[in-house]
Amino acid sequence: MPPENAGYAVAAYIVAAVILLGYTGTLLRRARRAIDRARRA
Amino acid sequence: MTASEGAESLVRRGTVITAAALLGVAGVYVLAWGYTPIEARQGVAQKIFYLHVPSAWSALLAFSLVGIVSALYLWLNDPRLDRFAAASAEVGLAFSAVMLTTGPIWAKPIWGTWWTWDARLTLTLFLFFLFIGYLALRAALQDPGERARFSAVIGILGLLLVPFIHLSVYLFRTLHPQPVVLKPSRPSLPPEMLRTLLISGAVFLLLYIGLVTIRYGLALAEEAGEHGDAA
Repeated sequence: MPPENAGYAVAAYIVAAVILLGYTGTLLRRARRAIDRARRA
Repeated sequence: MTASEGAESLVRRGTVITAAALLGVAGVYVLAWGYTPIEARQGVAQKIFYLHVPSAWSALLAFSLVGIVSALYLWLNDPRLDRFAAASAEVGLAFSAVMLTTGPIWAKPIWGTWWTWDARLTLTLFLFFLFIGYLALRAALQDPGERARFSAVIGILGLLLVPFIHLSVYLFRTLHPQPVVLKPSRPSLPPEMLRTLLISGAVFLLLYIGLVTIRYGLALAEEAGEHGDAA
């Protein structure tokens, strides 16, 4: 009988999604701001 | 094409690749939970492996490329190489963050502890700190030539750590499992697990390419903003 530890797996999948989506969103916001600044320069 | 148009085009292309890769990651979630069997000894926590291992592969690939490209920069002095190294280092840190958080969440139910100072874990944490230092150094130096040269040296030092991290499970007594795919003999996994792991590896590689493309475009746009939008 496998041990009952599904909560850890769910937590890891949520943490990974938060890091990957959070970084992607931040990167896109930084890129948009930098492109706006470059256009004005 | 002006520099800002070039940056915009790169960011657009990177966004498309990243969106496709994130859809792929969602697919990996479905495969991991709906397709792969529950491992008999580790239980459901073993499914963390489908995120932890590909994020470790991507992080080590990212940091290895920083080192290789940094060495090339010191030789060729091409600013594109420096831009790529900075992009790869930052994206590598994002993948390392996934690796260094999912690892302890797996370790707690399997090892009974969140963290142990064994060779593989400690060296990986050092690599993470080294590349935080790399980005801090880049942020602190204003002169582009000086910034590129000094950070290239740190990037090469990071590359030297990568083979030690891969081989640490053979060189030292360690709790960390030995490689199941990247080893001289055949992969030791049931086919459903191996297939899901390889798909996840490919998806994380695509995500690396997408994020580095956006980050490279961002660096181009920042340079255009600082020095004027030259054609």
